[in-house]
Amino acid sequence: MTLKPNPNPKKMRPYDVAPKPRRTLIPGGVDSAATGFFVAAAVWLAIAVGIGLLAIGIRIIPFEFSFGLGVFDLSFELNVRRVDAAFVNATVYGWLTNAGFAAIAFMTPRLLGRRLAGERLMNVAMVIWNLSLAGGIAGLYVFDLGPHAALTAMLWLFDGGLATGALVVTGSFLATAGAAIRSGYVSTWFAGIALLALLGLVGLNATLGLLELFVDLPELTVALASVFVERAIITLWLLGMAYATLHYVVPRATGQPLASNGLAMLAWVTWLALAPVSALATLQDPSVPYVFTTLGAVATMLLLVPAALAVVNLVQSIQGRWSLLFGQGTLAFAAVSLAFLLATALLEGIGALRLVDARVGGTDWERGVFLWATYGTFTLAAFALAEHALPRILRRAWGGGMLSSAQLWLTFGGATITGLALMGGGLAEGSLRAAGTTGEALDAALVVYRVAGFAGFVLVALGGVALLVSIFVMYTAGEPAEYVVSGQAAPATGH
Amino acid sequence: MTVHTPIESRSGGVPRWAILLTLFVFAVGGVYLAANLAGENPPLGIPGASAAPPAASGEPDPAVGEALIGQVQPQCTTCHGPDLTGSGAFPSLHGVAGGPVSENLQDLGAEYPDNWAQLWIAGAPETEGIDRMGMPAYGDQLSPEQIESIVAYLKTLQ
Repeated sequence: MTLKPNPNPKKMRPYDVAPKPRRTLIPGGVDSAATGFFVAAAVWLAIAVGIGLLAIGIRIIPFEFSFGLGVFDLSFELNVRRVDAAFVNATVYGWLTNAGFAAIAFMTPRLLGRRLAGERLMNVAMVIWNLSLAGGIAGLYVFDLGPHAALTAMLWLFDGGLATGALVVTGSFLATAGAAIRSGYVSTWFAGIALLALLGLVGLNATLGLLELFVDLPELTVALASVFVERAIITLWLLGMAYATLHYVVPRATGQPLASNGLAMLAWVTWLALAPVSALATLQDPSVPYVFTTLGAVATMLLLVPAALAVVNLVQSIQGRWSLLFGQGTLAFAAVSLAFLLATALLEGIGALRLVDARVGGTDWERGVFLWATYGTFTLAAFALAEHALPRILRRAWGGGMLSSAQLWLTFGGATITGLALMGGGLAEGSLRAAGTTGEALDAALVVYRVAGFAGFVLVALGGVALLVSIFVMYTAGEPAEYVVSGQAAPATGH
Repeated sequence: MTVHTPIESRSGGVPRWAILLTLFVFAVGGVYLAANLAGENPPLGIPGASAAPPAASGEPDPAVGEALIGQVQPQCTTCHGPDLTGSGAFPSLHGVAGGPVSENLQDLGAEYPDNWAQLWIAGAPETEGIDRMGMPAYGDQLSPEQIESIVAYLKTLQ
C-alpha cells in the first residue's frame, strides 16, 4: 500500500503512521555525552562560584554555625575549612572536570575520525560522577574531614563513585582511540595522559579512603598522600586538559594549521616529565627527604617551559589572523587563557622558591594563584571549547554576540581582580606576620583585599551565569544549522 | 556520523631554539636543585590536626616546647634554621639561657631578665618600639603556658 502524499489524518489507521522512534532513558546519540557533560559543567560552575563567594565572604565577616541533623549524632557544620573544601571540589571536580570530560567526548571522535565508543556508558558515567560529587560535597559539611586536603576530603563512598565515573570515561576514550592514538594529534596525547592520571589519582584516593576504614593509617601518611593527590590532579589533569583544549581550538578558530607539531610534542614531553614531579613539592615534612621536595619545587618552576612552548606555538598559529583576537569568539577566549597560563606558571614558579614559600605559604597568595589557574587558565580554555563546540553539537547557528562578550570580559576582569587582590593580600599578610601583627589586627588589615576579591568574584559569577544563559538561549532560540567541513559535500556534525 | 578532520601542522620538527631554550632552563633548574640539596622540611601543617599540645600544669615542659616548635609553629625552623642555629639574617636561638643574643633585645633582657623571651615571643606591650626584624608575635596563637614551654626548650639549647 502506498500512502497519499497528504493523507487526511482523520482517515488514517494506526498502521498508516510510522512508529515514533523510541526514546531511551539513557541517551546514546552522537554527541549526547558531550552535551550532557557541558550542561553539567555549566550548572556546577554556577554552584562553584556561589560557594566561592561564600568562601571569600566568610573571611570578611567571620562566622560559623552548626545544627544537629537528628540522625547518628551527625550535625551540619559551616565553617571556613568546610566551605573552602566545598568550593575547591565544586570547581575542580564539578565545573572543570565535567568540562574536561565534555572536551574529551567532543574532541576524540573528531580527531580520530571514529564514533565515540560507549556513548551511552559515558552518559551513565556522567550521572554517577555528578551524583557522587553532589553527595560528596554535601557530606563535606557533615562528616569529619580528617587530615585530608580539600580534593580528597570526601567520604570514601563518594570517592568510589568518582573513580567509577573516571574509569568509564577512560575506557570509552581508550576504546575510541585504540591503535589510532599513535598517529593522533597532540591534543589526544595531552588528553590521554590527563585522563589516565585522573583515573589513577581518584582511584588511589578512593583506595586510601577504603583502607582507612579497616586500617588505622598514620595521620601524617594520609595528609601527605592527600596533598600529593590534590596537587597532581591540578598539574596533570587540569593542566593537561587545558593544553589539549587550547591545541585543539586555536587552529580551528583561526582556520590555520598548528605552527609546529614538534614544538607541541616538546611541550607535551616536558609537561609529562615535570607535572608529576612537581607534586612532590607539597610533601613538606621532616619525614620526607629535603631533596625530594626541592626536586618538586624545581619541577614546579620548570613547568614554565611547556607553558612558554605552548604559548609560542599557538601564537605563531594565529599569525595573520590577529583581528580574530579582538572579536567575541573562540579565539579571544583562548588568547586570554594562554595569557593566564603563562602568568600562572610564572607565579607558581616564584611561589615555589623556598624563601618566597616561607613568607606567603598558607596565606591568601596561594588562593589567589589557585584562582588564576582555575578561573583564568582552565575556565577560559573551557569557555573557548564551549564556544566552538556547543553550536556544533546542538546544531545551532551561534557564535560571538553579547553573551559571549559578557562571558569573556566578566570572567577575565573578575579572575584578574580576585587573583590580584588575594595575592596582594597574601603578600601583605606575610609582611604583617613578619612584623608581628596577628589576630584581629591582621584580619582588619586584610579586609580591604578580601572585599576587592569578593567584588572580583561577583564578576566571575556573572560570567558563569552568562554561560548558562548562553546555552539556554542557543538551544531555544538559535537557528538550526548544520556545520559542514570544507571539502565535504554531506552535512556533518562539524569539526 | 562524525567526519575525520586531521589537523595539519606547518612543520613537524622541533625548532633548534626551543631545544636550546629548554636545555638552558633545565640547566638553571639543575643549578637551583644542586644549591638546595641539604636542609630539612618544616612540619606539614595537617589540616584539622588537634590543637597545640597543652603544657603540663605547673612547671613548663621543654618536651612540650620542642613539640610545639616542631608541629605547631614550623615558622620557627623556617626562619631560624632546622636546628635553630640561625639562617641568613635570622639569629641562632642557641644560648638564650644566658640572655638575649640579638643586639636589638639587649635592653629588654636587661629590664626583664627573667621573662624577656616570653614577652618577646608573645609580642607583649613591653616590647613595643623594638624593631622585631621580621619576627612575628605569637601572643594570639599560643597560650602563656605554651610560650613558657617553648622558652624552657630554647633554654636547653647550648
